[in-house]
Amino acid sequence: MKRSYLGVIALCVVLFLNIVCTQKAVNAYFFEHYRAVIAYALGNLLLFPLALWIYRRERDVT
Amino acid sequence: MEQDKKRDNNHSPFHEDNYTHNIRKNNERKLDRRGFMKTLVGAAGVFALSTLPWGALAGRELAGLKKKSYQPMKIADISSLNVGDAVEFAYPGEHDSALLIRLGEDEYRAYQNACTHLKCPVFWSKEQDEMVCPCHHGIFDAHTGVPTAGPPQRPLPEVLLKQEQGAIYATGVKRYET
Repeated sequence: MKRSYLGVIALCVVLFLNIVCTQKAVNAYFFEHYRAVIAYALGNLLLFPLALWIYRRERDVT
Repeated sequence: MEQDKKRDNNHSPFHEDNYTHNIRKNNERKLDRRGFMKTLVGAAGVFALSTLPWGALAGRELAGLKKKSYQPMKIADISSLNVGDAVEFAYPGEHDSALLIRLGEDEYRAYQNACTHLKCPVFWSKEQDEMVCPCHHGIFDAHTGVPTAGPPQRPLPEVLLKQEQGAIYATGVKRYET
């Protein structure tokens, strides 16, 4: 059976971006670039609905 | 039959050596594509939540940035400090030890003297005209605070100074730069 792994790959990319954002946010906080911290935190926050959306879209694809 | 099973399970080692005897449901241990995607979504949620405190702290810092000013603090009288001498003080907090060095007749430098390698207190070496960290022989240039030898990679944070009525005052700490 051939199945679609598009969702898995997309979610892996999202998770990778999550890791990058978290790391960058903590680093920016250390170097007192507070605007960057908020940008990264917001990015991380927005990645979750994106992940949820990808999951719902790909859930019922074989 | 039930008895036989029990005896089997009490027998050590099990006849079954694939460690699946404790699986009760069909496909209980199977991680399928959908379950894996669910895990990833959950992880994304955890990451999103984990950056919230950082964002909140940064927001608080941004909101209170204008109020964040350092109180000027008298360090030493100029008359008590000869050229080439150094005096230790604490600024801005009582645990932020710092070092004031008189490099020339009218040239003063002050740095927070926690070594940027492992936070050992850096001291002023008059003979060698540089700041030395005794722990791992990190050496800093007294004119700029830049590390010139040893393990430290980042410069010492500089304390801003002003002269007033024959005394040296600390007025602030330079923002930490990479």
